[in-house]
Amino acid sequence: MPSSDDSSGELTSGTRRAAAQPPRASGPPEAGPDPVHQQSQEALHEAEEAVVAGGIGARFRALLGLDSPDFSWTKVLAKQGILLAFVIAMVGFSLASDRFLSFDNFSSVLRQSSIIGIMALGVTIVVISGNLDLSVGSMLSFATILVVDLHDKIGPAPAMAVALVAALACGAINGTLVGVLRLNSLIVTLGMLSAIQGFTLIYSGGQNADITNQSDTWFAFFGRGEIAGVAVPILLFLGLAIILEWVLHGTTFGRRVFAIGSKASAAEYSGINRVKTVFFSYLISAFCVWCAAVVMGSRVMGSQNTVGKGYELLVLAAIIVGGASLLGGSGKISKTVIGVLLLGFIQNGLLLLGFSYWTQWLVTWVVIIVAVWLDVGARRGRLLSPYA
Amino acid sequence: MLSQPTSKLARTVVRAVAGLLPAALVATAVAQEDEVITIGITQNNVGIDSYQTTYEQAFIEAANNNPEVEAIVLDAQGDVEKQINQMRDLIQQDVDAIIIWPTQGKAVVPVVRQAERAGIPVIVTNSQIAEEGQQFIASFSGPDNITQGIYSAEIMCDRFTEMGIEDEAVIVQIAGMPGYTTAIERAQGFEERLPEVCPNVELIETQPGDWNREKSQTVMETFLTKYDDIDGVYSGDDNMGVGALNAAKAAGRADEIIFVGATNFAVGYEAMGRGEYWGSIYQSPVEDARNALRTAVAVVKGEDVPKSNYFDTPKITQENMDQYTKPVF
Repeated sequence: MPSSDDSSGELTSGTRRAAAQPPRASGPPEAGPDPVHQQSQEALHEAEEAVVAGGIGARFRALLGLDSPDFSWTKVLAKQGILLAFVIAMVGFSLASDRFLSFDNFSSVLRQSSIIGIMALGVTIVVISGNLDLSVGSMLSFATILVVDLHDKIGPAPAMAVALVAALACGAINGTLVGVLRLNSLIVTLGMLSAIQGFTLIYSGGQNADITNQSDTWFAFFGRGEIAGVAVPILLFLGLAIILEWVLHGTTFGRRVFAIGSKASAAEYSGINRVKTVFFSYLISAFCVWCAAVVMGSRVMGSQNTVGKGYELLVLAAIIVGGASLLGGSGKISKTVIGVLLLGFIQNGLLLLGFSYWTQWLVTWVVIIVAVWLDVGARRGRLLSPYA
Repeated sequence: MLSQPTSKLARTVVRAVAGLLPAALVATAVAQEDEVITIGITQNNVGIDSYQTTYEQAFIEAANNNPEVEAIVLDAQGDVEKQINQMRDLIQQDVDAIIIWPTQGKAVVPVVRQAERAGIPVIVTNSQIAEEGQQFIASFSGPDNITQGIYSAEIMCDRFTEMGIEDEAVIVQIAGMPGYTTAIERAQGFEERLPEVCPNVELIETQPGDWNREKSQTVMETFLTKYDDIDGVYSGDDNMGVGALNAAKAAGRADEIIFVGATNFAVGYEAMGRGEYWGSIYQSPVEDARNALRTAVAVVKGEDVPKSNYFDTPKITQENMDQYTKPVF
């Protein structure tokens, strides 16, 4: 199945220079994701350079594919639906509540979303490689308990180091079971979800952990600090997003992730080391969870045993809304970021308007369904189809 | 239904558990054989939190201190199936009374009925069993969440009256996990009592904090954005209350807000000590355990025991907190 990058390449193919590229491979797209992907990457970059030269108008036309010979609004809706939904939600909430559109509220929502967001970045890579990671919620509980509990005992820096080692160990176990033993990732990480939660309870003996001296520790920087007026969690979230976007699209590792997610066997026949790639994707996911745990521990200055319970589903929801396919092979870090922000702003907006929690659940569900529908629509080229 | 093999299996399970808890299992009293009251207890999940751990220690201690009582202390480890087997085993042993801390309110009803049919009174401790099981139990011993909510409303109102803002104060509520009896009752007690004692205090909004401090912090941040004036926050427990306190501190508005929780936690106790958090309700696992044993003994002796035998959950505020030790949870 085509990755969304391939599609973006196709989308911008109407621009002058990119039009010189051959049409997309006519064979089954699964057959050779790597060369196609590289080509479309180049096409995308060239197209981008072209539109930068043409100014805002051309950029906008390119984004929507207005110059494309096979232009249709359905396609635009399908490709950029998530962005559109985001804009509509923002405008709607701004009109409905005079508190919504303010710097304070925006920065507070960004700060709140950053924990889920940082986790979602890592899981996006796992999902693109065709696997799942349901253990991130428990891993978050474990790493947060560790960092908070050890903070008072051995100091902030060693505590963070221990939590990092623990998180990476969990990631390595996931990576080994899914990568080396080739077990189903859903089952492995579902098992790890329980196992890590159990381990957290054994470690803590059921006690909540708290940081006693909250005002005098530099550890507060990660969850409560600011750099140039921007909260540190937001900077961490966006910084990691930029780095992982580069890892996915600028390194061979990233291309391997896409290749394995599109068709693992084909990727292996073309010499890609599947074990290594899957293993590292889980390590990245675990690293992101550790970052989220540091932010969480610092923001709350305490931790419950079950603090991350259910977060794995919020993370998955954000990724699905961002349009990544749970079957692997497609997804974008930038769209996951938008997915995270969309869900964060919807929660905030509904709270500001005084809706109850069940409304939030309902709206989240509707957003996920629409996102999946648009995603399917993008793949078959039309929103409504008599065929599945 | 396969009662013989099942109970043998159950006994094996119990013995296995007994092996794990050598000192804890049987607390033998020194009284004469014919006066000894044998009480079996099957707990929910000792070790999962410090409340339940402290409860077990306090129960064993109370049983040891009572010469009339011989206690058989079992732990279901959160497993309904295991708890049902433990109940059957206690019925087989023909104990004088069974205390159960239900792992699950509905699933244990049939085996509670079985005990009642066998003539063994059942005392439910800490968490209620389902409505349909009420007819089979002798008594419920535990905290009264509605009372806790009522007391919280009174703490809040008293404080507003002291400050002289009882006619204009507006408050928000951060409730527990939707659907949980504990969350519903704590909210209900508060919402019913507040208009009685402070009719002009307005509860402007309630949102769930899911027993989660981070979630509560997020909810409170939104409340602070939405409302320019908040005088009080009532939360389903101190854990969520401290989350709300964190948000208010970050927004520089903590000084103008009175924080009251429905159950005192160690974090809340500490925040009270720092003068940042006003009050809560003191729920002691030691008192919980002692009350359960007292209730069971009274039932066995044929004394008149109320169907709901609540233990006292006093109000704790910055003013009287020195009379209480820091909660263990």
